[in-house]
Amino acid sequence: MSRGRRRYVIQKVAFAALTVFVVITFNFLLFRVLPGDPAVGGLRDPRLSRETVEALQERFGLNDPVFINLEGGNPFESQYFAYLGALIRGDLGFSFAFRDQAVASLLGKALVNTLWLVLPAQIISIVLGLGLGLVAAYKRGTRVDFAALVFSLIMWSLPTFFLGIVLLFLGSAWLGLPTAGKITIGAIYTGFWDQALDILRHLFLPTLTLALVLLGEYMLIMRSSVVEVLSEDYILTAKAEGLPTGQIIRRHAFRNAMLPIVTLIALNLGFTVSGAIQIETVFSWPGLGGLTVRAVGQRDFPVLQGAFLLLAVSVVLANLIVELIYGWLDPRVREA
Amino acid sequence: MRSRWVKPLAVLVVVAACTSTGTTTSGPGTTGGATGPGTSPPTATGGTVRIGWGGSPDSLNPGNGLLTEAYTIYELVYDTPIGLDLDGNYVPELAEEWSVSDDGLTWTMKLVENARFHDGTPLTSEDVKFSLELWRDNEDFPFLPSYPDVFTIEAPDPTTVVLTTEEPIGNFESRMVFMYIVPKHIWEEIDDPVAYDNADMIGSGSFELAEYRQGEFVRLEANKDYWGGAPNIDGVIFQTIENPDARVAALRAGDVDMITEMPNTAISTLQSDPNIEVVIGEPLAPGLSDIFFNIVPDELCPAEDGVCSGHPALKDLQVRLALAHAVDKQQLIDVALLGLGTPGISLVPTGLGGYFNSSLVDYPFDLDEARQILEDAGYLDTDGDGIRECKPDQSCDDLTFRFNYPSDSDTAPREVEMVSAWWKEIGVATVVQGLDPDTLTSVCCPTFDYDVIRWGWGSDPDPGFLLGVALCSEIDSGFSETGYCNPEYDALYDQQATETDPETRREIVWQMQEILLRDLPYIIPYYDLTVQAYRKDTFTGWRTDATKLALEDPTSLNVIRPAG
Repeated sequence: MSRGRRRYVIQKVAFAALTVFVVITFNFLLFRVLPGDPAVGGLRDPRLSRETVEALQERFGLNDPVFINLEGGNPFESQYFAYLGALIRGDLGFSFAFRDQAVASLLGKALVNTLWLVLPAQIISIVLGLGLGLVAAYKRGTRVDFAALVFSLIMWSLPTFFLGIVLLFLGSAWLGLPTAGKITIGAIYTGFWDQALDILRHLFLPTLTLALVLLGEYMLIMRSSVVEVLSEDYILTAKAEGLPTGQIIRRHAFRNAMLPIVTLIALNLGFTVSGAIQIETVFSWPGLGGLTVRAVGQRDFPVLQGAFLLLAVSVVLANLIVELIYGWLDPRVREA
Repeated sequence: MRSRWVKPLAVLVVVAACTSTGTTTSGPGTTGGATGPGTSPPTATGGTVRIGWGGSPDSLNPGNGLLTEAYTIYELVYDTPIGLDLDGNYVPELAEEWSVSDDGLTWTMKLVENARFHDGTPLTSEDVKFSLELWRDNEDFPFLPSYPDVFTIEAPDPTTVVLTTEEPIGNFESRMVFMYIVPKHIWEEIDDPVAYDNADMIGSGSFELAEYRQGEFVRLEANKDYWGGAPNIDGVIFQTIENPDARVAALRAGDVDMITEMPNTAISTLQSDPNIEVVIGEPLAPGLSDIFFNIVPDELCPAEDGVCSGHPALKDLQVRLALAHAVDKQQLIDVALLGLGTPGISLVPTGLGGYFNSSLVDYPFDLDEARQILEDAGYLDTDGDGIRECKPDQSCDDLTFRFNYPSDSDTAPREVEMVSAWWKEIGVATVVQGLDPDTLTSVCCPTFDYDVIRWGWGSDPDPGFLLGVALCSEIDSGFSETGYCNPEYDALYDQQATETDPETRREIVWQMQEILLRDLPYIIPYYDLTVQAYRKDTFTGWRTDATKLALEDPTSLNVIRPAG
């Protein structure tokens, strides 16, 4: 690694770490300026006595000063520093809404489910989207290109929940696919393949929906990116030199066309952990998206802080990776 | 549909259904769901019924539950001393019988002898005493502490529980229906019961917990040794299907056997399916919508939080009377709820035992009468802009009211629009604004910084809770939405609270409802109806003939059997 290269990497990593810290602080303050009493999640009920509300506030530490303790004593005895301290220990606290559940375990389970759904969909749509986009660009103006363009535009612009519900109706009525969840509840499996098949059957429709939506986006961007590169002078030169088509595309067009695609993929992957909210809702997939939405409704600060932290870290990480890949793909970036 | 600001508790309903199960003739695998049709005799048992619902329990720990779904599971897994059946009657459950001493201060419950927890341990009065004290003494449990808070509990012998109070109480039975009895030998080891997730959920009810994944499903198996007679089915699965259309699709595809709630727009589609039965009825815990007025008297404006900016004219009963004549409740139900409601009148919903005052006669929908009332009271439109002016001695210009509603309600915007149109016709203008529930709380109470609000309450088996929100003493606490204060009403409230004779108490409660209808702090537009649907080709025997509709209740799940 050259010195310039090393400095570039260190700079980017330091900036990413700073960003995460700012996000943590911002998240913390954001939820505390919201109106309402998180101890009871906006609940009003004559059975909820004043003593109960006070006991819950005490339990969640909501009586402590928010940011800095100015009421005398240790200035660091505040909700903010308690939160930072717990965070360093890897403790995300207890959920307000599910009072007996640790946030880390809630988020962990949901994250695994979300990855099961989103990663296969991403991989399928990236491979197919780049391939089809490349073909469409090379055959631009032909019927193949037109068909690909119409398909990707429709998929990209269809509301996700609508596509999901249509596929759900068709899939359950015609193919007998399950309508909700990720396993057949209470099933007794005869072996590994039996179980794998069951999960795949449940995974099929939500993955298909997400893959179709993403596919449209990747195809469009890839096509326009390649079309732009193909009109460059150096491609014309390569053609004039009599290089074979495959070699022009592989060695000259593809790598340059990849720059915007890498950005898009990395950003999409970063947002993976936010879950595919609409798809998770339509197919009752127990992922992070649904958990976050419910936490907003219940003013479940600890879960929201945890979910936003996870999201922030992964988006920042994804950005960092893009910048590092850029440095490799396009030497101009790291010299600058 | 239902106002979401109070998550209504499910009302406890258990009938000790002692149907003998006989021998199991078929035991289909759980994956296949119900038994295949044709071969089973009418006494068939077995099968796992799959229920699709929109939510999921927020906790398996009965002290922590806020959501209706959690209470549905508690009802199946736990027993309580006294039950409430679907017709609104208190019925024996763990307590075979109970009685009160002549001075009204000592209640004695005699427990059944053969109750056992799912782990085989006998359930005794020690467990009852322990559980009641557990719910009473942990203030961090949101709802349960308010039920046993007046009792001192003793367990003189294994089947007797004695509860003493300092003053007589009128609602003993309703205080017992949420008292889930947990095993002392497990819970006494727990240091912090509020942080306890109760993952094993050992109870004594007709079903026991087999598998639970938060936000995904709850799987219960029948308790074959249930002291009150085992259920006919092998188990029940509650699956979370968040999207209402997906829930309907799941029922049609046969992925589930029953759905607990559905969009009103799907009713006709499902009714046309020969294998599906749609049932409409009163929900177990009826939601209550209300339109209420800021009438807090200046001298009672809460010292700490009060803004008390209510429109002065609303404090005039004649104005409220005119507004009450200008709300067409049936039309609200037909248009905004697609017919799924019954006209409301009292703060105590129908079906709460005999406590709903069925003799009340509502003000008719009559715009001419409404106009006349305002004319006679001296509210005239002197400047001809279509809005009546305030009277000279009032500190306001004209009858223009702020009208707020919770923005998380599906139907409130339409309702408020309709009501505003009627009021406009009698010369009353509104400035309509939807607010999120937290903001609505902050303008409502105890700040009283509003004129009119359309909102709602959840309900409780005992009328005392809802009648309590109209007490003078609740103005400062924030539970009084209106600022209504009437010493006559408060005296009756205290009287019913200590009246141990049910018939006398009913008369007082009826009288209180008459006062509220006369003084009009509230207009109650309607009571919700609920819709459920089940497949006829998989299980039979669903309980649909009771006053209340709750197919997910033990009363149905204990008796349904595979369709033959």
